[in-house]
Amino acid sequence: MSVYKWLDERLDLDRLNKKFLRKAFPVHHSFFLGEITLFSFITLVLTGIFLTFGYEPSSRLVKHAGEQLPAAYVSVLYIDSLPFGRVLRSVHHWAAHIMVAAAFLHMLRILISGAYKKPREINWLLGLALLGATVVTAFIGYSLPFDAFSVTATQIGYGIGKSIPYIGDWVAQVMFGGEYPTLHSIPRLYSLHVLWLPLLLMALIGVHMLIMIKQKHTQPKYAEEVAPGKILGVPLAPMQLSVMTLLFLLYLGVLFIIGGAIIAHPIEVYGPPTTSTPALKPDWYFLWIYGILQIIPSSWKIPLPFGAEITSEFIGGVLIPGILGLIAVLLPFLDNRKTKMRYVELPSHHPMRTSVTVGLLFFFFVATFAGWKQELNLSVGVLWMMLIFVPITAWLVTYVLMRQIYGPRE
Amino acid sequence: MYRNDTVIPFFALLLSVALYLATYLDGQHIAQLHGGKPPHAALSEGQIGLVAFATLSLIYALIGYFSAWLEGVELRPGRHVPSPGMAVTLVALILAVVEAALGGFFVRLLLYHLTEKPVSSAAEGTVFGLMMLVGAVLLAIYKKYYLGDEVLVEEEHSEVPW
Repeated sequence: MSVYKWLDERLDLDRLNKKFLRKAFPVHHSFFLGEITLFSFITLVLTGIFLTFGYEPSSRLVKHAGEQLPAAYVSVLYIDSLPFGRVLRSVHHWAAHIMVAAAFLHMLRILISGAYKKPREINWLLGLALLGATVVTAFIGYSLPFDAFSVTATQIGYGIGKSIPYIGDWVAQVMFGGEYPTLHSIPRLYSLHVLWLPLLLMALIGVHMLIMIKQKHTQPKYAEEVAPGKILGVPLAPMQLSVMTLLFLLYLGVLFIIGGAIIAHPIEVYGPPTTSTPALKPDWYFLWIYGILQIIPSSWKIPLPFGAEITSEFIGGVLIPGILGLIAVLLPFLDNRKTKMRYVELPSHHPMRTSVTVGLLFFFFVATFAGWKQELNLSVGVLWMMLIFVPITAWLVTYVLMRQIYGPRE
Repeated sequence: MYRNDTVIPFFALLLSVALYLATYLDGQHIAQLHGGKPPHAALSEGQIGLVAFATLSLIYALIGYFSAWLEGVELRPGRHVPSPGMAVTLVALILAVVEAALGGFFVRLLLYHLTEKPVSSAAEGTVFGLMMLVGAVLLAIYKKYYLGDEVLVEEEHSEVPW
């Protein structure tokens, strides 16, 4: 207590407590999707720090067990041999997958509950930026073990980056240190993965949370009846912090059990990169883009002035995701409102928005499905038909069903 | 989404089980396509996606149940003073002992790995994961039976953070 008093006399802790630590946090489990994303980021930073102690960011060849192998690959084998090292590396991988999935579901929750509307447009845009930066960071992380899988998967990303008209070469130079894989690729990707992108993520998370605290969280609908026009919630300290800490422990518990039992990326199974490219696909969050690339004929080329051209890689890998991203950016300005939004909108009260979201999800499912075109032996024509008609059918069926069940409440 | 009930966490739990099952069946299917033996001892790209969403659903479901249990389905302003009984204290004490034992066992595992032979990652991950889960339950008991609840009603316009 005397320590607290000593600090209080110097730092005015009482004022800090009254001003910040008594802030009311509304309670709903769906709000924790954002926290799961944050927990994943913290886990990634902590396990990532451990990995940097043993990882060598270089593709130079070193002798290992009588073979000449890339230094990065050998250093990952070394990390795996350390006590708890293989678990921490696996947990690092799984945390990245879960962060991408949680960020996506968090955005989906914001979308179907209308929480992107006034005054939260800026935080919606920051959320989109965070999702994009998370996916890019995870993708770059995949390249670092420099095994056969990661080299193949990174080559697909390199091809997409290089396909951007006029600036493709510059993008490839900045991101991959030249024509991938060169000796400069791994140091460049490593620097982006462990320094620049995490710094960007930290900054975006910081601003995102600061704005959330300023604008106040949306509240569950029942709060409108209990305390209309006010914020109903539990104080940050000790209530919310104790719940957050125990949920973080819960998250770690599940993650370490899964991460230990299922090694996400066993590099000894894939082996070092070889001259013959193995038949592998990119990670699941890129499979929808990969699927679109599979059904766009490589003959699609549109010439542009000064020798540039729009290729099928650009259309599938940049243009279509770019259009979807642009719609997401414009959403809060198209679906605007004059009054300030305080309460979570029930998806059942908004059949059009909810059904369009369902249609969009089906678009992602079918595009992902197209990633297995060769294995499923499906023709490009059939997949195109599926990609167009399945999402539209899903949207219409959901809309009609919701109108029938809940009525025209929009 | 009207209140903090366990309807969505229940379906998240069901989804998690379905996705883990789908991962297993996908593995069986891949093995079948390759004459009974999978091409390599690693999850496929699709399986990794399924496990990621299965694990996320499981974490979400657990968080949902814990949140509903600890914070209630609907908040009501005021202080709610807890009344811990003897049984709760006993359970907390036993869990604290289990936590200490797991901690000791985990250190032993690491030392064994270092000095004798490698320990399976499943064993290391499970012991550490259990330590975290027991810690979570201990904290939940503290929150539910010792810390109590406080629900505030705050003005929308405040000076926080500016």
